[in-house]
Amino acid sequence: MSTQTGAREIVEPSGEDTEFVFFSGKGGVGKSTVSCATATWLADNDYEMLLVTTDPAPNLSDIFEQDIGHEVTEIDDIDNLSAIEIDPDVAAEEYRQETIEPMRQLLDDEQLETVEEQLNSPCVEEIAAFDNFVDFMDSPEYDVVVFDTAPTGHTIRLMELPSDWNAELEKGGSTCIGPAASMEDKKAQYERAIDTLQDDKQTTFAFVGKPEDSSLDEIKRSASDLGELGIESQLLVVNGYLPESVCEDPFFEGKREDEQAVIERAKTQFDANATATYPLQPGEIAGLNLLADVGGVIYDGEEATVEVGSATDVDTDQSVDVEALADPESVAEQLTPGDDTRYLFFTGKGGVGKSTVAATSATKLAEAGYETLVVTTDPAAHLEDIFGEPVGHEPTSVSQANLDAARIDQEQALEEYREQVLSHVQEMYEDKEDTEIDVEAAIANVEEELESPCAEEMAALEKFVSYFEEDGYDIVVFDTAPTGHTLRLLELPSDWKGFMDLGSLTKGAAPAKGDQYDEVIETMQDPERSSFAFVMYPEFTPMMEAYRAAEDLKDQVGIETAFVVANYLLPEEYGDNAFFANRRAQQEKYLGEIKDRFQTPMMLAPLRRDEPVGLDELRAFGDEITGLSDLEREQEVTIS
Amino acid sequence: MTELTLYEEAMCCSTGVCGPDPDDELVEVSAALDQLEEEYDVEVSRANMQHNIDQFLETQPVADLVEEHGPSILPITVVGGDIVAKSEYLSYDELASELRDTQTTPQEA
Repeated sequence: MSTQTGAREIVEPSGEDTEFVFFSGKGGVGKSTVSCATATWLADNDYEMLLVTTDPAPNLSDIFEQDIGHEVTEIDDIDNLSAIEIDPDVAAEEYRQETIEPMRQLLDDEQLETVEEQLNSPCVEEIAAFDNFVDFMDSPEYDVVVFDTAPTGHTIRLMELPSDWNAELEKGGSTCIGPAASMEDKKAQYERAIDTLQDDKQTTFAFVGKPEDSSLDEIKRSASDLGELGIESQLLVVNGYLPESVCEDPFFEGKREDEQAVIERAKTQFDANATATYPLQPGEIAGLNLLADVGGVIYDGEEATVEVGSATDVDTDQSVDVEALADPESVAEQLTPGDDTRYLFFTGKGGVGKSTVAATSATKLAEAGYETLVVTTDPAAHLEDIFGEPVGHEPTSVSQANLDAARIDQEQALEEYREQVLSHVQEMYEDKEDTEIDVEAAIANVEEELESPCAEEMAALEKFVSYFEEDGYDIVVFDTAPTGHTLRLLELPSDWKGFMDLGSLTKGAAPAKGDQYDEVIETMQDPERSSFAFVMYPEFTPMMEAYRAAEDLKDQVGIETAFVVANYLLPEEYGDNAFFANRRAQQEKYLGEIKDRFQTPMMLAPLRRDEPVGLDELRAFGDEITGLSDLEREQEVTIS
Repeated sequence: MTELTLYEEAMCCSTGVCGPDPDDELVEVSAALDQLEEEYDVEVSRANMQHNIDQFLETQPVADLVEEHGPSILPITVVGGDIVAKSEYLSYDELASELRDTQTTPQEA
């Protein structure tokens, strides 16, 4: 088949130089599997291979059934293949310690601690992460290096730096990216790395996604981001479609049809040189046989092997009683307000169904009589699809009584933020008397600075914070939440000011903005007023990603997770065969693990034939979700 | 050519346009330094403790001050080898006046 040879040509090295293959995509789509299969397939074709994973919860060891670690390790049963697992947290910590070490001569422990906290910034994490790629981009001993993650457009833009960054470096000033001085040595290395990334002969960017509209949309966005930087996406792997033979009832037959339509759309609409697909397996993909199967299908055009009956690797002792996990009363308690407005945050990676769960919760809460506002920051404007009604930048009412909805328009938010910053700077200079300073040049400087990715992030936050000031709501539901890192960004300026104030420094009075942010963070930390809910589906990678994000939120900002949402649970009444029995057992195993890890109430939501659209369907869906179906009854009791 | 060096606090963005609000002082000083470089025969450099700690350690008077008083003594402004300000940023006008002083002073020993 022509598409298959297309994939083959793309990853096989064409010249003398080492080539690089990056696999990009959300967690849980099978990036690691496809990366391992690609590296194995190339090794089997006699290329010298290195496989690099920067996944914080790596599962290479499970996939190859062999311990790998932070050192380059030869894979026992495959000639020519070595692998290494890099822990991005460890890398960031090493980077921090290297920066702090020389300061010990001048600063005492307390002062060092402040600096260390400051280094806990998203910028530092991103530099450290990019360093991981750069470190392996000079590996002449290998024919191909396969990475199971890829730098995002955001990271590459940060590394490319503003146009005047040479001037900034000469002056010794710091850019947002961080360590200008230490970077001077690295500058050439970074430039080479970016050149290599942009060279489509030497580097392949491949995307892995699920056969779902949201997954494909997400990939399109990331790809167009990279495209703007001159990086072409060459290969798309759609992983985990339902095999035809196991879909034996209208529910799964219908799901399969939808998936096939998405795959067709991906082939025609996504501008990749090749598209390949691989089916869902009854269990998790591990072991060399299955890896060889994946590689064979993607690169040699072979038929996939799905062994339905025997391929279970789920220990039935580990599975749990799903009904017993659901605790509607505890969930309802987290959803409803006390004396003050309740802020509900549904957070989690893309594709886990956050928007739907948020919209459903908001609808049910409104139906129960609470004045409710639901806010989305999703650039895809998913809420409009869900409600089937237009949703604007400012809160607008939808047909459900007591319910308003709003969507943060990123571009409009950025424009508002820019105007606000510039007028602030202008005012500042107006207050200065008799200065010889060139105000126009100064403002032009600031304007240029506002072109940074930081500004985009701040703008979204600004808007986000403004919804805390909306009066008259009992409940405000956000279909996404800032991460621990982003919230650190809010805290940083106040920390930094605190640091400056340690002495007699005459700093201008802290602006009112700072107080406002402090208040917002305080509200978010208060379990009586805010509930953070992590949405995931019960599989390994989504669970680990959610868990790490939850830990981050706790460690960095002191926010505890209120409850978790386990979404896409396979319904009992459909899929009556060994394949789905295995899938169900696997879900149950991870539900148990989620319970153990998070130790919070669980909201369980079933997989649906279609995503709910319109208020009727949202209400009906709500009746199937833990905690939401009981709301009405409780409220009725209180009212009467 | 006069050298003007600012020794500053550990910070992320010396331009001041980072975080929820622009930092007025940093915006002002960044603009002032740019303008001074164009108008005077001066070489401006900024050393911040986080990224240029070596420069702190190599400049004995600055290192001594920080060791004795802690980071609150920052920012320190050095013009032509002399410390002209501690614990505060100078305005454009003040910096310009410092530069005029050094540049009208005969350079010969």
